[in-house]
Amino acid sequence: MNATLVTIRKELLSYCFSPVSYLVAVLFYLLHGTLLHSLIVMFALGGADADILPTQSYGLMSTFVMVVLVPALLTMRCFAEERRSGSLEVLVTAPVRDHELVLGKWGAAAAFYALLWLPTVPILWLLTTDWFLATPLTFGPVLTAYLGMFLISAMLLAFGVFASSLTDNVLLAAILAVLFNLGLLVIPGVVHRHVAPWLDNAYVRQVYEKIWVFDHFSNWFARGLLDTSQVAFYLGGIAFFLFLTVLSLGTRRMA
Amino acid sequence: MIRTSNLTKRFGATTAVDGISFEIGRGEVVGFLGPNGAGKTTTIRVLTCYHPATSGIAEVAGHRVDTDPVAVRRAIGYLPENVPIYTDLRVEEYLSYRAALKGVPRRERKAAVGRAMERCGVGEVARKLVGHVSRGYRQRVGLADALVANPPILILDEPTSGLDPNQRRRIKQLVRELAQEHTILFSSHILAEVQDVSSRILIIHRGRLRADGTPSQLVGESSGRRLHVEARASVEGLREAIGRLPGLAIESVEPTTEGYARLTASVPPGEDPRDAAAAALGGAVLRELRLELPSLEHFFQQVTEGHDRAAEVAP
Repeated sequence: MNATLVTIRKELLSYCFSPVSYLVAVLFYLLHGTLLHSLIVMFALGGADADILPTQSYGLMSTFVMVVLVPALLTMRCFAEERRSGSLEVLVTAPVRDHELVLGKWGAAAAFYALLWLPTVPILWLLTTDWFLATPLTFGPVLTAYLGMFLISAMLLAFGVFASSLTDNVLLAAILAVLFNLGLLVIPGVVHRHVAPWLDNAYVRQVYEKIWVFDHFSNWFARGLLDTSQVAFYLGGIAFFLFLTVLSLGTRRMA
Repeated sequence: MIRTSNLTKRFGATTAVDGISFEIGRGEVVGFLGPNGAGKTTTIRVLTCYHPATSGIAEVAGHRVDTDPVAVRRAIGYLPENVPIYTDLRVEEYLSYRAALKGVPRRERKAAVGRAMERCGVGEVARKLVGHVSRGYRQRVGLADALVANPPILILDEPTSGLDPNQRRRIKQLVRELAQEHTILFSSHILAEVQDVSSRILIIHRGRLRADGTPSQLVGESSGRRLHVEARASVEGLREAIGRLPGLAIESVEPTTEGYARLTASVPPGEDPRDAAAAALGGAVLRELRLELPSLEHFFQQVTEGHDRAAEVAP
């Protein structure tokens, strides 16, 4: 446990020193800013319904660009860089267990990602003030939308950590993670029409609903609905990919 | 403190380490010698639980590497070859992080880092980024990292490679100092270094242990002793006088200046014919009477380039 906390602290420090994280932050806030701008325009000119703000804000495809790209960029260096520079040897010959390291690396990425989202909260609050738009926002759905966003991203981060443990090429790790993120977010929506006939089968529908991440988000979390089976799906996904990472670290050392 | 028994490590079809057995006691400083690619680093990586062994047993500080790797690693301070360390932290930060990772309690951490930095002489670069310090300092930062949790055993893989002679001397000096409190296993392919520092030498070649002993033992056992004599005598007289001694094979005799002659003869291992030679020459005036001992280098060459059967050590 101690080793996990130490690793989280060190990794967060490294994120602060790395130019990559600043680029990621710029990308993140740039996209978020454009999105927010269009929303404000919609409120101010179109008089849009305040209740659908969270869905509008976070359910849009451009948000998913952040979810597809940003986690992959954050985790690409985790183990690939250590493997490339050889510092993995120093790291794993310290008296720590592999799972503590993996948990620490992922924990730091998740914490940094959460930190990126943090400044967007006061902006939403700004919208509700009298001297701005005075939009009557309900913060319940906003909260679940944030939670959903965080859960999805945390799972993608776990996959990113895993992808990073597979190779010593940082770029390859990033590409692998982006492809996975894209696949998970886009494919279920795209093939929906084609698999419709099979959805009559309860089992197929169950599985399909579980992996349809985009639907979880826009029809559940963003509307303030919390389905524990979806939460369990993401927590399970996180555990699964972190477990794969531990295995990958172990087997990679055999050769 | 370290014990291996029939340790073997294969990578696919290549056998990197082939049935190595040795034991290192508390307080020993053991030099691990061998040409590049002999299996030194692989053996070390098995001992530090980086690679699992294919077969055989390895124990460090009473813990087996396959069943209790965390306890093994806790007992070891390890400096890998080429010192791959994070370059984006300051020296002080890096060591503090490593101390924390190794479980040094928060209250003692600052003192432990300070001690290790002072020991290795990296105090003056404490606030510099690890990536910005010179190669010699980086090596010492790596050593400070190995020391920071004060482990009983230090394993150093090529601690002097890539350093200039002054830096090398300082590292050697440091290893000598550390030997008073730690058991040390360090690898090298530079013989003089090993000879200077270690109390015992293991020579490994093509994955097998070829020799095990103190430097003087190894040198004493090897062939290549020579007797040099320069005396006031004729070439024939000198040849005749020394030629009477048993076991010596005269290699050359030649006249030098002022009526002196010079003779070189090879001597069987373990013998010292100087007294006999002096007696055989009677009262002739001597300018030189010297027994040349073979260098460790010579022995190393014999072991690693000679026939494979020649110097095999019985397990």
